[in-house]
Amino acid sequence: MSKKIKVIPCSGMGKVFGLAAREAALKAVDELVPDEAETLCLAYVMTGDEAAKDKIEGYDCITLDGCPALCAAKSAAICGGIVKEEYRVVDAFKKHRGIKAGGATTLTEDGWMVVDEIAAQIADKVKELGKEA
Amino acid sequence: MVVEKNIKIGVVSCSGEDCLGGTISRMATRKMMDENTAYTVATLCLPLFLAGGEEERGFARKYPTIALEGCSKYCAKRATEKYSGKVSDVLNVADFIGDEMAESKLLSTRNLTDEHMQMINQVLTELRKKLDAIAKDCAVANGSDHELTGNCGCSCGGNK
Repeated sequence: MSKKIKVIPCSGMGKVFGLAAREAALKAVDELVPDEAETLCLAYVMTGDEAAKDKIEGYDCITLDGCPALCAAKSAAICGGIVKEEYRVVDAFKKHRGIKAGGATTLTEDGWMVVDEIAAQIADKVKELGKEA
Repeated sequence: MVVEKNIKIGVVSCSGEDCLGGTISRMATRKMMDENTAYTVATLCLPLFLAGGEEERGFARKYPTIALEGCSKYCAKRATEKYSGKVSDVLNVADFIGDEMAESKLLSTRNLTDEHMQMINQVLTELRKKLDAIAKDCAVANGSDHELTGNCGCSCGGNK
């Protein structure tokens, strides 16, 4: 199994924040730190399949959650992941009060701007954790 | 127009981060949610469902629910049946676009092409059919066996 840091978004379906979490995770692992991080499917990990457990158990994780339920952080920990950082996507949006970010289906340009900011933070954290390892 | 908003149907959709099928299922579900239907469609957040969301699990116990899968791991169906009860129907994106395509690289919604949008619309059409069929069954069971109309506000059954 890859030693890459696992970046796990909640990908929630109900609000813009779930979509933003998903897109920020994708941008980070695909474009910013592809050699150091990868994403995992939260739903599959939570099925409890042995193959899924092997993907997370004992690995460093960064979670991104869109709502206070913190599903990604809680689920990653339950499955044996070592959660090094819990991001709350809503905090990034608080810095841009009043913007129209879009919805849970699509993001606006402003929404993508915030996503890019979150992705950059995630990438920085991945690099920091990489140095610690 | 006959509207039966008291008929509620849940969609537990894969919002997967493993492959393209997750992007397609997510988008199809979201587009469904953005439509006006003659009955109530609720999306149940799969991560919350799995993390112990009692509201989501309770809804799936009480109302008919469709599992929309992004790939053949069937996470949405398995979760629903583990924590709530048997799903009313299952739709697997892979049945429409093929296993290989469904399990291809995960895609950002930023990079969706016309081809992907066609896939999403194909799944959406099938999802809508399944929801309509369940709504009709519910109407019969409720003793209100009349035609539930589509979204456009007349009785043609079409969509906006």
